[in-house]
Amino acid sequence: MSTQDIRISDKTKKPYPFKVSDEYFDNLTARIMEQIPDESVNKNETFAPIANESRKSIRWWLKGASIAASLILIATVSIRLIDTKETAEPQPTASNEYVTDDEYNEALMTYSMADNFDVYYYLEGDTEE
Amino acid sequence: MAKIDEQDIILRLKNPSTRRRAFEVMVNAYSRRLYWHIHHILQNHDDTDDVLQNTFLKAWNAIEHFKGESALYTWLYRIAQNEAITYIKQRRNIDSLDDEDFILTPTSFIADDHFDGDQAQETLMQAISTLPPKQRQVFCMKYFEEQKYEDISNLVGTSIGALKASYHIAVEKITKFIKQKE
Repeated sequence: MSTQDIRISDKTKKPYPFKVSDEYFDNLTARIMEQIPDESVNKNETFAPIANESRKSIRWWLKGASIAASLILIATVSIRLIDTKETAEPQPTASNEYVTDDEYNEALMTYSMADNFDVYYYLEGDTEE
Repeated sequence: MAKIDEQDIILRLKNPSTRRRAFEVMVNAYSRRLYWHIHHILQNHDDTDDVLQNTFLKAWNAIEHFKGESALYTWLYRIAQNEAITYIKQRRNIDSLDDEDFILTPTSFIADDHFDGDQAQETLMQAISTLPPKQRQVFCMKYFEEQKYEDISNLVGTSIGALKASYHIAVEKITKFIKQKE
């Protein structure tokens, strides 16, 4: 088969000499789509409305959890208060327990954790304007 | 192959809620034509099947980046061509970009269950397998599918003049191969 033969045979040439069954192409689309993630399923799972019965069970669960959390919080605070009362030194209060204003101011500074001398002097009444 | 409204399909592909169905329509419409274009390069059914599936999976993953500047089939074709050449490269562990390294070794096609030709056609296919992949594909599209140079040019992105030159060279190589075999 020469170059000329190839050109001449354009009129009588045979087609591409390979064949594939129609069944292959019939199944091909399905095989390819099986490998494509179904995004619509994921969306439904995320946003599907919860059934009424599921809502009821969730409410019960939330109630129980909130009651348990409250009890734990109360118990924790109580234990801390008890510990504080037993171990802490007597706390000065804003009453006549302080003999002088100095002692009151000093206590106030201690408990406010203020180390600003301006505040201190203000409380002392010695602020300069 | 059923004619589809390509613009409509592109719009549906860009919409996440209709993308999957539109993609299925696209696969159904273009898979046959794409199969044979890949087969021109690989000349083997099983390899073509693998590359065809990879092509559509790649297309799915890149669908959001498709800008619609080219025809949908042109976009698919370019992905398929890259996948086919990558496939050859991986099978042969080739690092080179030289076309000559991607030439298929002439094999006996008669033993292939999907071969449906006579001895003369087998010789012709063996000759075609000695062409570089892109030249092989252009030859097949021109010779077997009788596509116009203009259509081939739009598909492969090569000028008509270059395609004509490539086809002429391919014919000479094939002729030389057949004469040596006789």
